[in-house]
Amino acid sequence: MRRIDFYEDDLYPSPLKHTWQEFQKSHIAVLGMWILAFFIVLIVVGPFVMPFDPLLQNPNAVLLSPSWEGSGSLQYILGTDSLGRDLLSRLVYGCRMTLGISLLLVMIAMMLGVALGATAGMAKGVRSSILNHLLDSLMAIPTLLIAIVIVAILGVGLVNSMWAIALALVPQFVHNTREFVRNEMNKEYILASKLDGARKLHLFFYCILPNMFELLVVQCTMALSIAILDISALGFLGLGAQPPSPELGAMLSEALKVAYKAPWSIALPGLAIFLMVLSINIVGDGLRAALRNRLTQ
Amino acid sequence: MILRTLIRNTNLLISTLLILSLFSFVLAFLFPGDPLENLSGLTNLSEQEYERVFLAYGFDQSYVTQFWIYLNKLFEGDWGLSFASGIPLWQELSLALPASIELSIYSLFVSLMIGIPLGFWAGFKYHKPADYSLLAISVVSYSLPIFWLALILILIFSLSLGWLPLSGRVSLLFDIPEVSGFMFVDIFNSEIDNKNAAYISALKHLIMPTLSLTIITAAIIFRLTRRSFIDVMSSQYIKTAYTRGLSHTQVILRHGVRNTLLPILPLFAMQSAVLLTNAMIVEFVYSWPGVGNWLIQAISQRDYPAIRAGMLAVSSLVIVVTIMTDVSAKLINPALVGENHAEN
Repeated sequence: MRRIDFYEDDLYPSPLKHTWQEFQKSHIAVLGMWILAFFIVLIVVGPFVMPFDPLLQNPNAVLLSPSWEGSGSLQYILGTDSLGRDLLSRLVYGCRMTLGISLLLVMIAMMLGVALGATAGMAKGVRSSILNHLLDSLMAIPTLLIAIVIVAILGVGLVNSMWAIALALVPQFVHNTREFVRNEMNKEYILASKLDGARKLHLFFYCILPNMFELLVVQCTMALSIAILDISALGFLGLGAQPPSPELGAMLSEALKVAYKAPWSIALPGLAIFLMVLSINIVGDGLRAALRNRLTQ
Repeated sequence: MILRTLIRNTNLLISTLLILSLFSFVLAFLFPGDPLENLSGLTNLSEQEYERVFLAYGFDQSYVTQFWIYLNKLFEGDWGLSFASGIPLWQELSLALPASIELSIYSLFVSLMIGIPLGFWAGFKYHKPADYSLLAISVVSYSLPIFWLALILILIFSLSLGWLPLSGRVSLLFDIPEVSGFMFVDIFNSEIDNKNAAYISALKHLIMPTLSLTIITAAIIFRLTRRSFIDVMSSQYIKTAYTRGLSHTQVILRHGVRNTLLPILPLFAMQSAVLLTNAMIVEFVYSWPGVGNWLIQAISQRDYPAIRAGMLAVSSLVIVVTIMTDVSAKLINPALVGENHAEN
C-alpha cells in the first residue's frame, strides 16, 4: 500500500490507517458503518426529536395502522400498539435501550475480560492451566445459555439480565486476550523491553495493548451483536426487561397478543433489532477482512 | 495417543459433570426459601413428614454427606418434584429432553446438508458474483434474531396463508401416548388407527421450528466451510498438487474436501451448543414441549427444583455433546491433539 505524493516521497500509512484504507475498499462495509452510525445518532438525539413519550397511552388511538395504510393517521407515523402508545417513539426508545445497554455491557465485559486474559496470558504454571481448562469449557457454552442460568439464579429483571449477559460475554474476551498475549510474550520486541527492565504492567499497556487494539475492536463488534441478540431474547422470553419498558424484545412479546390484528407491531421492533445486528455484523466482517488483507500484504 | 485423548476427555467429562451436579446442589441453598424444599420439591409438609425428608436427605449430617446423598439420588433418577406440577422432575425431563434433541438433530442435519455444499460452491467461486450473493444471504440470515424469525414465519405461513399449524408437535386430535419422547417413534409404537395422518401432522408441525433453526445454523456452517475451503485452496500443498499435473477435480476431491472439513469439525461442536440454545427460544415461540420451553416456564414461575434440574440437564447435555464431538474430531484428525493444551 504505497502512495506517491508531490515530492515523490514514499508514503507508508500507519497500521491503523492502513486497516482503515482496506476497510473503505469494501462499499458494503462502509454502508454498514453508516447504518450503525445512524443508530448511534438516533440513540443520542432520539429523545429530543420524538413526538411522544414511549409510555404515554392514548385510549382514542388504539392499534392504529401505519400512516400509509387506510386507517392510519399522520400523527402516529408507524401506528400505535394495543394501549395506544406511539410505535415510532417506542421504537426509538427501544433502540436506545437495547443498543445503549449492549454497548455498556460490552465495555464492562471487555475491561474485565482483557484484565483477566492479560493476567492469564502472562502467568505460568498450575494457575494458568486451571484457568485454561475452565475457560475452554466455558467457551463452549453459548452466552445466552449462561445468561439464562444466571438469570435463573438472580431472578427475573432487566438489571439481573444485564449482569448475566455481561458475565456471559467475559469468557470470549479472556480467551482471545490470553491467546494473543501469550503469543506476543514470545516475540523479540517484548524481550527487548524486558531487557530494558519493563515491568509486566508496562509491557502490557505500552507494548502489547497497541498491537491488540484492532483485534479488540473486531471482538467488540462480535460481542455487541451477541449482546443485542441476547438482551432482546431475554426480554422476549420474559426473563429480562419487563413490559411496559420499551425494550425491543419486551415490545415483541407484548405485541404477540395482538399479532393477528397488528402484524406491524411485531414486524417493526424485530426489524430494528435485525438492522442493528446486521450493520454490526457487516462492520465486523469488513474489519476482519481489512485486518486479514493488511496482515497478508 | 488415542488412549491418552480418550482418558483425558473422560476425565474432563466426569469432572465437569461432577462440578455441574455440585453447582446444582449449591443452587438449592442459593435460591430463596428452604434448601430442603428446593432439593426435594416437597412443600407444605407436616412436622413428621418434614423430619422424615430431613433425614432422608441427610440434613442432620455434614454438607459432604448431603452432597453424596444428593448424587446417589440423581443416579437413581430421584431428582425431586416440581413445585408447579408436583410431578417427578426426572419424568418431566425425560419427556422434554427428547423433544428438544429431536428438533435440534433434524435442523442440524438439514443445516449440514445445505451449509456444507453451498460453502464449497461459494469457495469455488471465490470473489465472483455467486460467492458474493451467497455471502450476503448468509450475513443477513445469521443476523436475524431467531425469535423474530420464528414469529415472522408464523405470521406468513400460519396466520396469512394457513398452510402450517401454529404450535405444538402433533394435532391434538391424535391421542399419542408419550413413551420415548421422540414423536415419530411414539407414533410408530402407538395403536391409533390412522398412523399416516399422524405422521403427516407431526411433519407439518416440525417444518416451521426446523426451518427457523436451519436458516441461522446453515448460515454459520456455510461461512465456516467457505472460509476453510478458501484457506485450504490457497495453501502450498494444493499448489504442489497442481504442479504434479493433477486436474482441478482431482485436486479438490483428493486434497480439498478432506482438508476443508477436518479443521471445522470441532467448530461444529460449538455450533451444537448454539443450536440447542436457539432451539430453546424456538420451542418457546412454537410451544414445543421441549426442555427450553419447560425451563423458561420454570424460571417465570419460580419453580426452584425445576430450574435446578433443568439447568443440570441442559448443561450436562451441552457438555456431553461438546466433549463427544471434540473427541471424535481429535480421533479423526490427530493434528488437533495437543492443540488446546499445547502449552502444558
